[in-house]
Amino acid sequence: MGKSPTTKDDAQALFHSLRSAYSATPTNLKIIDLYVVFAVFTALIQVVYMAVVGSFPFNSFLSGVLSCVGTAVLAVCLRIQVNKENKEFKDLPPERAFADFVLCNLVLHLVIMNFLG
Amino acid sequence: MIGNKIRHDTTWNHRDDRYGCKRTRNRGGDSVHGCKVVVIRVNLQSPNTSRLRSRTLNPNQNMAKFSIATVFIASISLLLALTRSFSVENPTDRRILVLLDDLALKSSHSIFFTSLQARGFELDFKLSDDPKIALQRYGQHLYDGLVLFSPTTERFGGSLDVAAILDFVDSGKDLIVAADASASDLIRNIAAECGVDFDEDPSAVVIDHGSYAVSGTEGDHTLIAADDFIQSDVLLGSTKIEAPVLFKGIGHSVNPANSLVLKVLSASPSAYSANPKSKLSSPPSLSGSSISLVSVVQARNNARVVFSGSLDLFSNKFFKSPVQKAGSSNKYAKSGNEQFVTELSKWVFHERGHLKAVNVRHHRVGETDEPAIYRINDDLQYSVEIYEWSGSSWEPYVANDVQVQFYMMSPYVLKTMSTNKKGLYHASFKVPDVYGVFQFKVEYQRLGYTSLSLAKQIPVRPFRHNEYERFIPTAFPYYGASFSTMAGFLIFSFIYLYSK
Repeated sequence: MGKSPTTKDDAQALFHSLRSAYSATPTNLKIIDLYVVFAVFTALIQVVYMAVVGSFPFNSFLSGVLSCVGTAVLAVCLRIQVNKENKEFKDLPPERAFADFVLCNLVLHLVIMNFLG
Repeated sequence: MIGNKIRHDTTWNHRDDRYGCKRTRNRGGDSVHGCKVVVIRVNLQSPNTSRLRSRTLNPNQNMAKFSIATVFIASISLLLALTRSFSVENPTDRRILVLLDDLALKSSHSIFFTSLQARGFELDFKLSDDPKIALQRYGQHLYDGLVLFSPTTERFGGSLDVAAILDFVDSGKDLIVAADASASDLIRNIAAECGVDFDEDPSAVVIDHGSYAVSGTEGDHTLIAADDFIQSDVLLGSTKIEAPVLFKGIGHSVNPANSLVLKVLSASPSAYSANPKSKLSSPPSLSGSSISLVSVVQARNNARVVFSGSLDLFSNKFFKSPVQKAGSSNKYAKSGNEQFVTELSKWVFHERGHLKAVNVRHHRVGETDEPAIYRINDDLQYSVEIYEWSGSSWEPYVANDVQVQFYMMSPYVLKTMSTNKKGLYHASFKVPDVYGVFQFKVEYQRLGYTSLSLAKQIPVRPFRHNEYERFIPTAFPYYGASFSTMAGFLIFSFIYLYSK
């Protein structure tokens, strides 16, 4: 810390603080985050594939991408509702949130299977 | 019969006045109209009339029987007359009418006529102004071929004129026309209607100072030795004609854009058409190789016509005389006239080069019966049998350029058919990815052969909804991604529930 702070030092400091803050989150939230990352990653792969070969069975493409995006959105909703630091959902039992998550995923995948062709 | 009827009517009218009602007599009995009187007759029209009718027609029945018998006899005789003519199964002509303007032609051209008769033709010789000439009777043609060896005739006898002769050709019958230096307008008109234009100058003949026939006396070079034949085995036979053909007469030209007319014997490049007795005042209109000495026309209905500018081409004198072309040292003991004329007459009277196509069949590969409709992307097979008439029997036609088209406004598929050398031509291809009403078309036109034009309509339907492929290969990643998301959801829910 003898020199004046540079941008690189600032970025590193930011990164370290984010990391330490994140490691303090509860495990179940980390599991949800992992699931969201997996779903978005799958969606990205499909978009890249479509850019390469073209959108011929467009319904199949939409079905695949929407299944990933939909399930990611539902997982994010679950994370919001289960997070104890969230004052808005203080009275909502986490089991209820998980049950909603499962039900909505079931409906989503039913629709996806139908639209897949 | 009619007289009787009127008489009956008058007697009824007479009685009518008494009763004041009209009675008209039908064939079936009485009917009473507008009667204001006494006589109330219940007329049971329908059941009785049939019995009454059969009884009253007895005098008519004998007349009917007699007329039926005459019609029967007439039709039998006409049928007999028809079987003597050419039929589809035997396309060679049978009866030929020969019109001459001079009966001496019968003996001066006897070699030609006897060779025709030896080949089985029935020749009917008539003078061209014979009033009993008739080409057709009751709408049926009496002859299959016509030979006009009458160049000087202005008018034919009987009912024959340019229109009748053209009608004869239009009905598919064959014609040989020989003109001469004295050709009349009638012959020129017939030729002009068929696409052959004789030289308009009536005194012009073909003169060739380059390839005239060398003879003992110094002539005016109007007797030509021509050897510029068309290259066609169908027209002129497979044996090459070695000796030149002697020709003395007028020349004609054909329109090169006309695909139906062919020049069989052309003049040499040094020939021209002019009056031999007078000096040339202007360049001749017909000159060089464009002068045709003998040409043939094969009409679209496969009628064949030969136009020759020289009647002497067919004569015994030219058949037998030796020939030497000026400028060449080859002396031939016999001119090529007889061979040329014989081969050409074989072609013109359908002894050679006549094709028929039968037995068009198509089916899917692997099946044998013809479906009524095809589906796109089907594999199908098409076959047709083509035979050539050899003069006495149908022989298989062998060629490697018969093509079939799968046609809807334009040919989607054009395939050359392969043959098994026994007359069967077949091709297999895939129905294109277009649906609609298609036609199997075979259009075959070759020089000297009859034209084949076959078309068979067949519809092609698109896929039914359950005939598409079930899983699209390009979409496999999307299928995989959806299933992996489902699996990921299941695994995630287990881990989330059962982790501490």
